[in-house]
Amino acid sequence: MSEPVREIAQDRRLTVDRELKGLILKHYMSAFRAKSPLGRKPVAWVTSGAPVEILLALGILPVYPENYGALVASRKAALPYCEAAEQAGYSLDLCAYARTNIGTFLLGQGELGGRPLPPPDLLVAAKNICDVVVKWWEVAARHFGCPLFILDTPYAADGLNPDQVAYVKGQLEDLVVFASKAARRRVPSKEAFESKLSEVLELTRQTVSLWNGIQALRQASPTPASALDMFTNMFPIVTLRGTKTCVDYYRKVTEELSERVKQGYGAVPLEKYRLIWDNIAIWYDFDLVRYLHARGAAFVGETYTDAWGIYDFDPSDAHDPLQAMARQYSLILLNIGLGIRKERLFRMVRSQRADGVVFHSCRSCKTYSLGQYELARAVRDELGLPTLVIEADMADSRAYSAGPTATRVDAFLEILAGKA
Amino acid sequence: MTNSTASGAMDRLLAAGADPAAHAPGPAVGYVCSYVPEEIILAAGLHPVRLGARPGPTGPADSRLQSFSCSFARALLDGLLSGRWNGLEGFVFAYTCDSLRAAFESWRISAPPGRLVHFLNLPARIEGPGVLDYAASEMRRLSEALGGVDGAHPPTPDDLAWAIGLIGAVRQNLEGLARVRRARPDLLPGSTYMAMARGAAVLDRREAATLTAAVADELTAAMGATVSPSRTPSGAPPRPGGGRPRVLVLGGYLETEEPLRLIEESGADIVSDDLCLGGRRLEFGAGDDSDPYRRLAAMYLGRTPCPTKHPPDRRFEEIRSRATTDGVDGAIFLLQKFCDPHAFDYPALRDTLAEAGVPSLVIEVELGAVSTGQARTRLEAFIETLRQTARTSRGPGHPRGAAAGARGPAASRAGRGGGRM
Ligand code: SF4
Ligand code: SF4
Repeated sequence: MSEPVREIAQDRRLTVDRELKGLILKHYMSAFRAKSPLGRKPVAWVTSGAPVEILLALGILPVYPENYGALVASRKAALPYCEAAEQAGYSLDLCAYARTNIGTFLLGQGELGGRPLPPPDLLVAAKNICDVVVKWWEVAARHFGCPLFILDTPYAADGLNPDQVAYVKGQLEDLVVFASKAARRRVPSKEAFESKLSEVLELTRQTVSLWNGIQALRQASPTPASALDMFTNMFPIVTLRGTKTCVDYYRKVTEELSERVKQGYGAVPLEKYRLIWDNIAIWYDFDLVRYLHARGAAFVGETYTDAWGIYDFDPSDAHDPLQAMARQYSLILLNIGLGIRKERLFRMVRSQRADGVVFHSCRSCKTYSLGQYELARAVRDELGLPTLVIEADMADSRAYSAGPTATRVDAFLEILAGKA
Repeated sequence: MTNSTASGAMDRLLAAGADPAAHAPGPAVGYVCSYVPEEIILAAGLHPVRLGARPGPTGPADSRLQSFSCSFARALLDGLLSGRWNGLEGFVFAYTCDSLRAAFESWRISAPPGRLVHFLNLPARIEGPGVLDYAASEMRRLSEALGGVDGAHPPTPDDLAWAIGLIGAVRQNLEGLARVRRARPDLLPGSTYMAMARGAAVLDRREAATLTAAVADELTAAMGATVSPSRTPSGAPPRPGGGRPRVLVLGGYLETEEPLRLIEESGADIVSDDLCLGGRRLEFGAGDDSDPYRRLAAMYLGRTPCPTKHPPDRRFEEIRSRATTDGVDGAIFLLQKFCDPHAFDYPALRDTLAEAGVPSLVIEVELGAVSTGQARTRLEAFIETLRQTARTSRGPGHPRGAAAGARGPAASRAGRGGGRM
């Protein structure tokens, strides 16, 4: 590529990041081990909004094709897999995570030591993040010939009504039976299952409370963590939510960030502007964020990382864990109405004392991106803050050009400078 | 029924389909998606109008939805924002896909005050525990919302039974017309059929029922007069129409009949379809009478599924069997650009059809049209291969040869520009 050279900032990496690498490796290795002759642990392919606590309580190992897509994209390696899917007839306008995943299983190749994800014993997708995953998981089910469960979460346009909660809860009950059968396990008794489930939910709750605490630490000036730290450090809350490992890890992150705050050590040297990022990371171009860092702009919040702070199961539902899950899994960021999403964004802008919002208009992800123009308008008109919309894609670099984007970033920074 | 009555009926249906805003009587409620039960709107004393989208470049919607939302959603929003539908009392959207959900969100920010903007939050699953109950609860919620619209009343069970009957009659007539199209695409080309079906989703449904019945009767009679066996010795439907290859067309909601006309002009007869306004609108579940909303829920859950519904098995099976029973030589996918649900199904459906001996071609549609130049060349080439395979496998004695050159009254209306919105 003959893009102009962009002056970028050196990362001030967290020391916990070293441990994070090990966690990622261990997670994927355990998935391969599960499928080895001695493994005997069933593997489920799940979406990022799937109610994994149920699977964990049943002793099933969840793996996340979306996370795998992000991993492949951050190695700038998504293209050949996307192209393989396109060759097979999948439109290049489809979600690049889906194309990456489909490409890897069609080719039987991937980025985990050359391997794709281990094949699933069961497939679980929740519609709460998009309509895409329903169709994508159908494709996988046809390919692997394995059982598929779709958790159908009606749109929480203005919150939830009791019929919706009952419908989702009924499906969760059904999922317990489905997953047990698909994993060739005996369906557990209600009592035994719910007590195990409550333990897992408690671990999720602890994780989420640490996570929200970490986000709150970023209210400090300078912020102890910017977008790159958070994008990479969301791996455990996505893939290991509901485990002790996850809780332990975020304790360490909390400690390190607290220490940074105490010492006034910022993620970005000479923090001048505080920004919010909306939408998925552009995994193959972290240099864009570093470019902002080099100009004193730090990210103090991301709707994308904030989204994981929502799995805060209501303790008043403790006697009915499935009900609590039905609620929470219906209310996640990509399943709520635009009005509620706007409130969440505004709240974040205020709590993190942000000066502007950067919207990554992600071509792959309609569910996240459509509506951003309305949100950007609201940020400008109602909060009086500048916005920047970047046209890109989280994994498919063909939809993106770094040069012109940098020019637009410069113009945005000038507006911020004028406001300061 | 005289010929001129039927011809007048057809003209009226085509005119309504071409210009819905001018043909919908008030007080009317616009709806998007064929999963919205017209029956409930009717039963509330309102008039249901299927909201389409004007083809061509979009204007105000471009600053609301990115260019990677499907052009249908964008053009639909554009029509709404530009005031085209300001005469309507309300708007009902249904939960199908991410693009349409976003169009709803934008519209509810900008809709004129005092209008109902309702989101029919139907399940994506069409079977499984709780699906029927939940769908019925959403139908009831729609009914309550509509009951509050100016000029409407809360629907009674009798109102609903009447409306179910009326819509059932329209559907039955459309099915009759589909049979004519299947047996005699020379009498009723697929593009004309679809243009009439579009009109039947716009006009007063009592009128639509009368008009569709008139045309169906007339064409069925004409069909009986010119073709003797209703089935060939092999059991397949006859193949008249000048030896033109018979195709099945698959896709979503087409903004115009333009792509269908292009297929016909390129030399094929459209005898079968899996389109939103066409084939997917004909078969519905039965449902029992205990409660009208449960009945409606069962009807809509049981209809020919669209790709936004799960599981996909019944959809695949129905398409496969339709291709066989309708005796098609090939299939043409009209893929709406940026439509995720259809695009994900395409490779597997293509393979399913291929296994059933039906070759297919995929053409992208955007803003109501195909990118004509290249698409025409590809269509002509594909249809030519169909013609050659059909010739070698059928031989000269095939019944299709018999009706060569016979073009019926409907054919003249299928010309370019006849049904443009
Ligand atoms: S469309 Fe968006 S939410 Fe859905 S799988 Fe793709 S990236 Fe994730
Ligand atoms: S054409 Fe596809 S993407 Fe567009 S509204 Fe219809 S189902 Fe949704």
